[in-house]
Amino acid sequence: MERFSYVRAESIPHAVTLLNTPGVRSRVLAGGTDLVLLARENHDLCDRVVDITLVPELHEIRRVQSATGVAGDTVTIGAAASFSEITASALIRETAPLLAEACHSVGATQIRNMGTLGGNVANAAACADSLPALVCLDALAHVLTPSGHMAWPVAEFVTRPNRTQLPPGGLLTALSYLVPAPGSRSVFLKLGRRNAMAISRLTVAALGRMDEQGCIAEIRLVPGSATPHIHRFARTEAHMLGHEPTAALCEEAGQVAVAEMSEITGKRWSSEFKEPALQAMVTRALLSLFGLIANHEEAHA
Amino acid sequence: MKIEFTLNGHPASVEAPADISLLHLLRDYIGLTGTKEGCGVGECGACSVLLDGQLVNSCLILAPQAGGREVVTIEGIRGADGGPNDLQQNFIDHGAVQCGYCIPGMVLAGEALLAKNLTPSRSDIREAIAGNLCRCTGYQQIVDAIEITAIDRRGEARKTEVTHG
Repeated sequence: MERFSYVRAESIPHAVTLLNTPGVRSRVLAGGTDLVLLARENHDLCDRVVDITLVPELHEIRRVQSATGVAGDTVTIGAAASFSEITASALIRETAPLLAEACHSVGATQIRNMGTLGGNVANAAACADSLPALVCLDALAHVLTPSGHMAWPVAEFVTRPNRTQLPPGGLLTALSYLVPAPGSRSVFLKLGRRNAMAISRLTVAALGRMDEQGCIAEIRLVPGSATPHIHRFARTEAHMLGHEPTAALCEEAGQVAVAEMSEITGKRWSSEFKEPALQAMVTRALLSLFGLIANHEEAHA
Repeated sequence: MKIEFTLNGHPASVEAPADISLLHLLRDYIGLTGTKEGCGVGECGACSVLLDGQLVNSCLILAPQAGGREVVTIEGIRGADGGPNDLQQNFIDHGAVQCGYCIPGMVLAGEALLAKNLTPSRSDIREAIAGNLCRCTGYQQIVDAIEITAIDRRGEARKTEVTHG
């Protein structure tokens, strides 16, 4: 007997209607690379899956110009955009290369072709590769419910591993970010057991820029798979802001980041590995960000 | 539920439960057993097929997700005479096949790459087959077979240009 039925949404409003059919426990299928496995383990997952992957609007990646000029432009990514679509998007490569890199580091071709950004955020695995990049971009998660549109910063939307603020019957429709100020650079580093298919052991997303005096005007740093709640490391950022980026400062920032992680997680079985690894990765990410080492590709383990 | 789609260029219509994988549908409901189940959790690539031209793991796709779409399995990859096509022949000629279990997925990964890029570097090829595990060959012969096919197909493309140009 079928454990659940399948229905395909034709549009965003149609999907929301389907998700709110009374008496039917529905789950969103946004690619399925996680859901299919979940359904195999949990035989009572839902009554019906609502496939949103073929809704054209949910694949749109577009730049929305703000009234206030270039600095306020927003890029919006439909939640069903696949990792392959994001990696290939000229708009994302130009405005948020760290997100393109994070999406390219997911799984291998097969997973990137099916897996979606919205699925990655809504499933909120502790090791989700797109999350540190989205949090680093101060991205917003947009949700549609029968009563209207809501939005949260991704850092607040994802509360802890596998938990989000998505209300019952709500559909995550898009992720958006403000285009970083001109002169910004970004880096995404991932440490896994091998290049392809590796589950992240640790990731670092960083974004920053310098002012005319050569001091750090903006810095955002987000380690992934390091803490239960993915967030910007404010103390590490404050340690760097306003200073001239030097190798010594990047080294110190690595130490501050480790202290910041340990305060939250305490000593864990993995600390012996994670502390030196995070120290090295944060330092390397920052050196690369400020052009103090040529090629951060070498840092991909 | 009734699942209708295009399979290897022909219309297919199958009555099957909604909660089975595309892999299960292909092997057990349609009888195309060329697509293999390796790990069953999207790690090994043995079950790779093309869905609307894109390489995917059929074990991680629900059968009804294929509805209205185009699926190509290893049975759909063959030469004009029904035998191996050029890529498959190169796999044979260059010792890229030992136990053979990963090969249907490998060939589809190779075809997916060559459809987009006829001038792949060896590193492009390695990346393209990164989601396909092979425990026999050590991969070098597989990379060789795909690389040689790319070179041959570039030659073919040039010949066609000259003939028609």
